[in-house]
Amino acid sequence: MTTLALYSNKGGVGKTTAAVNLSYLAAQAGAKTLICDLDSQSSATYYFRVKPKLKFGAKGFIKGGEKINKSIKGTDYENLDLLPADFTLRNLDAVFGKFKRPKERLSKILKPLKSEYDLVILDCPVTISILAENIFNAVEFILVPLIPTTLSVRTYKQLLSFCRKNKYDAGKIYAFFSMVDGRKKMHKELMAMMLKEFNGVLRSHIPYLSQIERMGIEREPVAAFAPGSVASKAYQNLWSKFQEAAFANPSI
Amino acid sequence: MRDHFKFSLPDEYNQQQLTGALADHYVIKKERTVLKNMAIYDTFDWRLFDKSFVLYTSENKLFLRKLFKNATIHSVAITSPPVFVWDFPDSELKEKLSSVLKMRALLKLIGLHSRLTAHRILNQDKKTVARLVYEEIRLLRGKNAPVLATYLWLQPVRGYTKDCQNITKHLEKGGFTALKKEDIYFKAMEAAGKSPGSYSSKLKIQLDPAMRSDEATKIILRYLLEIMKINEANLENDLDTEFLHDFRVSTRRTRSALGQIKSVFPKNIAGRFKKEFAFVGKLSNQLRDLDVYLLKEDAFKAILPPVLRDDIDPLFGYLRKNRSKALKNVIRGLKSKKYGQIMQNWESFLDEPLQDQPPEASNANVPVINLARKRIYKQYRRIVKDGSRILENTEDKKFHALRIECKKLRYLMEFFSSLFPRKKINMLIAQLKTLQDNLGDFNDVCVQEKYLLNIADELPATHRKSKKAQVAIGSLIGALDREKQIIKDAFATTFTDYASSSNKRAFSELFASKQKETVP
Repeated sequence: MTTLALYSNKGGVGKTTAAVNLSYLAAQAGAKTLICDLDSQSSATYYFRVKPKLKFGAKGFIKGGEKINKSIKGTDYENLDLLPADFTLRNLDAVFGKFKRPKERLSKILKPLKSEYDLVILDCPVTISILAENIFNAVEFILVPLIPTTLSVRTYKQLLSFCRKNKYDAGKIYAFFSMVDGRKKMHKELMAMMLKEFNGVLRSHIPYLSQIERMGIEREPVAAFAPGSVASKAYQNLWSKFQEAAFANPSI
Repeated sequence: MRDHFKFSLPDEYNQQQLTGALADHYVIKKERTVLKNMAIYDTFDWRLFDKSFVLYTSENKLFLRKLFKNATIHSVAITSPPVFVWDFPDSELKEKLSSVLKMRALLKLIGLHSRLTAHRILNQDKKTVARLVYEEIRLLRGKNAPVLATYLWLQPVRGYTKDCQNITKHLEKGGFTALKKEDIYFKAMEAAGKSPGSYSSKLKIQLDPAMRSDEATKIILRYLLEIMKINEANLENDLDTEFLHDFRVSTRRTRSALGQIKSVFPKNIAGRFKKEFAFVGKLSNQLRDLDVYLLKEDAFKAILPPVLRDDIDPLFGYLRKNRSKALKNVIRGLKSKKYGQIMQNWESFLDEPLQDQPPEASNANVPVINLARKRIYKQYRRIVKDGSRILENTEDKKFHALRIECKKLRYLMEFFSSLFPRKKINMLIAQLKTLQDNLGDFNDVCVQEKYLLNIADELPATHRKSKKAQVAIGSLIGALDREKQIIKDAFATTFTDYASSSNKRAFSELFASKQKETVP
């Protein structure tokens, strides 16, 4: 099983749309896939038309096992299941804190899913607290959307230095450009700079497109309702670039 | 994949009945109809059916499921129709079926054409909570071809169990009936005129203990003749090696029955047919030997050191060439006048009515149970005696002789197994099999060694490649010789187990003469 988190310590950068589309594309390619919506805002859950409710709330989530199994819903697409979000997940940090080895709780929760799924994608809320550390411990790969702006670059640097300080392997972090406006000179310059300066930045970007915003109306992955669109192709490209980087050439 | 629920349709079904049953509760969204071609496969001797497997192809994929279940166990993409398991792409499916199919070829039993129309069942959020698939299955393509079966499938979506239960309830109210013990497999087989499990190389002969021995023997021989005929008819197609193998085993069993079930037929008759079946057996000796080597190609290569592995190829090329010649010879032999006459005479003999007091056949009138006991027990004691001698003197020749005696006993026990408590006799047969496996391995190695020595002489030696092949053959012979010693060493333990006192007691209980009790 491959585990991948769509993560960012900055909000509104395109985590959820990426998580939804990448999980859809992976499932279409034949991988038995689970997308876990860890964000109490439950946007990914909304896109799949599922009620944002875990059978046993955050308390059940943290126990894992059957409690999680019973909450998993099939999406409208073959090979793709969803673990819905729940409003109580907003307190995850506090609940994790009550356990022994609080930073490894999420790894434990995900472990039993290994036999059933080829791929688990986590759609994460904005965080750099104990939940973030749980995520870093639990997954093999972290995929960070980057808007090519100075503030975004700054938060990315923060993330890398946080990892260095707390001894998390920054090698599993990959980044891609998100909400890119090709007409802006600054976007282009920053992208060129980032590709030069940082390891693990994928040569793939998701443009800023109204089609992606339409996902909120269609309540489907853009790759499903507009499979031939520019947006869909951009996610396909991102998925293949990520796979090349993560599996064929881990040193980029 | 979760299992789907299957419903039969109400009489004179039309689609409105489906929408009508659910319209008050759900939104139904019809998707476009998909056509699928399927073909079902099994071996000639129904190896998959015997294990409740259904193997079928659909749209360049091979699927395995269990009978009465819809869920796929394994599937794999294929580029050509499946024939031998060793040609399957490496996959879990291949692993699962290797030990079931072994060297038998898959035959396409029937092709099916299916038209599937899915309906998504949506809740208030327009989320799909289940799918209903209407399926029409035909033997021929085209909407006008007669329909073999129609089903309605309910495919649950994970996490929406309640909806699934509700839909089932509404459907049942609307006249749809849930089907459990039903599988299109059987309808398809019936349409193809095939009856699953109808052929097996195993002996399934039912005898009555009080029956006259000559009558019982004729039943056994008639059964063997049928197996010979079925396989003979398929030999020319050369689909796999096992038609010949089953044919030969039946021939051998026939000869063994004529020799071992003593004095049930006049001596001259039994003797004549024994000779004639020896002739029939010899017709295909060479072909079978070649089959055995070629089946072992991979195993042979595996014993060779890696540097020599490719050098042995000329040997197998040579064997393959010889095999096609040998096959032609066999087919010619089976079409010969002599063979035809033998089989015709044999069949008329089996059809002859029984005589009251046949001359020179002292056992003809004896109840078969008594004769069976006597023959089996005698043969068992002989093996124990012969085997004990081998423990003192391990000459190759003696192994060979003991192997033949064991085979005779095995056949006797199988011919008459219906006369004895099933569990007990099967256990004793299984023990004998362990001993036979040891002796059989020994024999295989000896035969292979001898054959390789012969081939080394025959292989044209002018070519540089042939010389390398000679080196490879030499290496193979060395490996076989070491294996021979290992098998010999294992014999002592295997035989001691077989001749143990508990086993002796079991044999004596079941087979030692009890004539007074059983003869009415």
